[in-house]
Amino acid sequence: MKAPLLNPNATAGVHAHRAKKELLEPLGLPAELPTNWREMALNKFGELLRQRRSLSLYLDICVRCGACADKCPFFLGTGDPNNMPVARAELLRKVYRRYFTAAGRLADGWAGRLVAAEELNDAVLDQWFTYFYQCSECRRCAVFCPFGVDTAELTMAAREIMASIGVAPKYTSEVIKKVYDVGNNLGIPAAAWTDTCQFLEEELKEQTGKDIKIPVNQEGAEVLLVPPSADAFANTDTMMGYAKFFHAAGVSWTTSTYASEAGNFGLFFNYDQLQKVNRRIVDAARQLKVKRLVMGECGHAWRAAQAFMDTMNGPLDFLEKPCPEHILEFVVRFLRAGKLKLNKAANDGITVTYHDPCNLARAGGLMEEPREVLRAVVNDFREMPADTIREKTFCCGAGGGLLTEELMTTRMAGAKPRIEAFRTTGATHLATACAICKAQFPVAFQHHKVNAQVVGIMDLLGKALVI
Amino acid sequence: MLLSALLYLAAAVFLIGMGWRVFNWLRTPVPLKIVLTPGPKTSSGVAGRLAGEILVFRSLFKADRSLWVPAWLFHVSLALLFVGHLGGLVIPKFAEATLSMNESQFENLAQNAGSVVGVVAIVAVLWLFIRRLASERPRKISTFSDYFSPVLLLLIIGTGNHMRFLGGLDIVEARQFVWGWLTLSPTAPPANPVFAAHIILVSALLIYIPFSKLVHIGGATLFSPTLNQPNNTRDRRYAGSWSAGPATAKAK
Repeated sequence: MKAPLLNPNATAGVHAHRAKKELLEPLGLPAELPTNWREMALNKFGELLRQRRSLSLYLDICVRCGACADKCPFFLGTGDPNNMPVARAELLRKVYRRYFTAAGRLADGWAGRLVAAEELNDAVLDQWFTYFYQCSECRRCAVFCPFGVDTAELTMAAREIMASIGVAPKYTSEVIKKVYDVGNNLGIPAAAWTDTCQFLEEELKEQTGKDIKIPVNQEGAEVLLVPPSADAFANTDTMMGYAKFFHAAGVSWTTSTYASEAGNFGLFFNYDQLQKVNRRIVDAARQLKVKRLVMGECGHAWRAAQAFMDTMNGPLDFLEKPCPEHILEFVVRFLRAGKLKLNKAANDGITVTYHDPCNLARAGGLMEEPREVLRAVVNDFREMPADTIREKTFCCGAGGGLLTEELMTTRMAGAKPRIEAFRTTGATHLATACAICKAQFPVAFQHHKVNAQVVGIMDLLGKALVI
Repeated sequence: MLLSALLYLAAAVFLIGMGWRVFNWLRTPVPLKIVLTPGPKTSSGVAGRLAGEILVFRSLFKADRSLWVPAWLFHVSLALLFVGHLGGLVIPKFAEATLSMNESQFENLAQNAGSVVGVVAIVAVLWLFIRRLASERPRKISTFSDYFSPVLLLLIIGTGNHMRFLGGLDIVEARQFVWGWLTLSPTAPPANPVFAAHIILVSALLIYIPFSKLVHIGGATLFSPTLNQPNNTRDRRYAGSWSAGPATAKAK
């Protein structure tokens, strides 16, 4: 997509709703902005600088070459200069210079401007809360940076600093609290989860005439499947797809009501919540005495699991395979062994293309498996342009905790580059493996006037499986 | 004498400053594995990835060819100028022997190669400087430092080229000065104002580097956790610095 002309302050007025006392307190955060907030924020900043090389190094070394500037979907969609990754980083960097570098500490007034240092004040805090919630931590900029500077790391740090003074978005805080209260992002209580699984079993019986189970809390099953909770409610074809696959593969499996959520909004909040949310999955796997831990179709869940789980809450040596696996890796293994009977024609009459969720591609390395499954179950599969897929994929526009109503302006703008790439294929269906993408695209299709449907990979597999 | 003293001061600031910056990066832990995927799974693969970034600016090539050309030419010509100064001024005898050349052949090579590289370097800096001024996005993101660095480099390369193309520098005297400086028994510099200007500007650059974005020459890519880690979290547990833990650190 061609880079837009700069449109200063285009989305300066798009803010996330702030979390209030009843959400902040349970997460261990100040209920309102403390009077000494600046001192607290700078202390937190200093602490993170000592703890994370990604933060100190990436604040130091950027040369502002601008290679990243036209790579961000939010800049491409909005034209707001602060959405250029380098400019977004400068919002943090100017404060870093002022308080944590020799030049910035010495320089004041005009000299401060000379070294591009700026004080942390209300206006800067407001800028941070605005623009660090117009970044989806998708890491596309990092792929093109000569130093691998990863804006997601800076966004995460800025959000963590803000959270430490009680400046956090309502949406993410709410979701995390629901996970602690009932076990998943949607806030579905255990009884409702069990009911839904039973309902879907009946649905499967109607579809196939077979008794296909969606087990709940079944101790001693071989596999604990952790799907995004949306699969049980919004994307039920994906849920039934898992069930059909495990049935056809003859593998015993279970879901858990304690860890009925693959997603981890802690990744969009702070390390503390990231670790705690992640811990629930490990605990569930241990309690249910399963041999394998398999993650469902969710992008950032895969990052939190495959890259961080073992480090944060491991070792996972109680599992037969001591690391998380992805459902699509699992499927590919059975596919290659010739153990799945497929009828591709069941998916005829549609044209499918694949949208790589950012975290599967750039933070999980899962790019071949989805394609291998799609090619096995669909006759008409097409790729989008090469500079918009695999590790160069565009974010759907709603990752990183942005999937909320009040950010609709930036969400729709952020989806634009992906939608334009999609249009070139003439596909009728956009297949993807992420619950956030699946929630975002139907809205974005409508907004950008595209007549197409969103579908999970397991949905298409489920249709093609001969049971 | 004053020139030598300034150069000693600059060298000290540069070495201590860079040492401190690099030490700081290295002692800062990497709590989680954040490698960009698809990434190499082995350490030799990682070495290849880093070599590709450092030697041919692979990611920048993917990002923007029209930026890659001047950026790469600029860095390569600076590296060659450094090697050229080392060979021509510090170890000419050794360089001649290594290249099995006699003195006049070596002088000839130094003249010609130095001229070409000097011109490429100045063209590349100008190109980058004009790009920054002329196109909307780079101009928007530029700070004072982004203009100061190329101007300083233009002046340094400019004074160097002045001496090369317009003559006036006695190479033997220059060698004596450099050797005297290196062996801590400084001698008088060649009586040439352009030479003096060149040395003053280089001193300014050396002092500037550790405190500016130019600090990236200290190994930015080499230490970058998105690039220098193998993509193998599931083959081998990455303990990171997590056991000390952000949760624990937070409590203090």
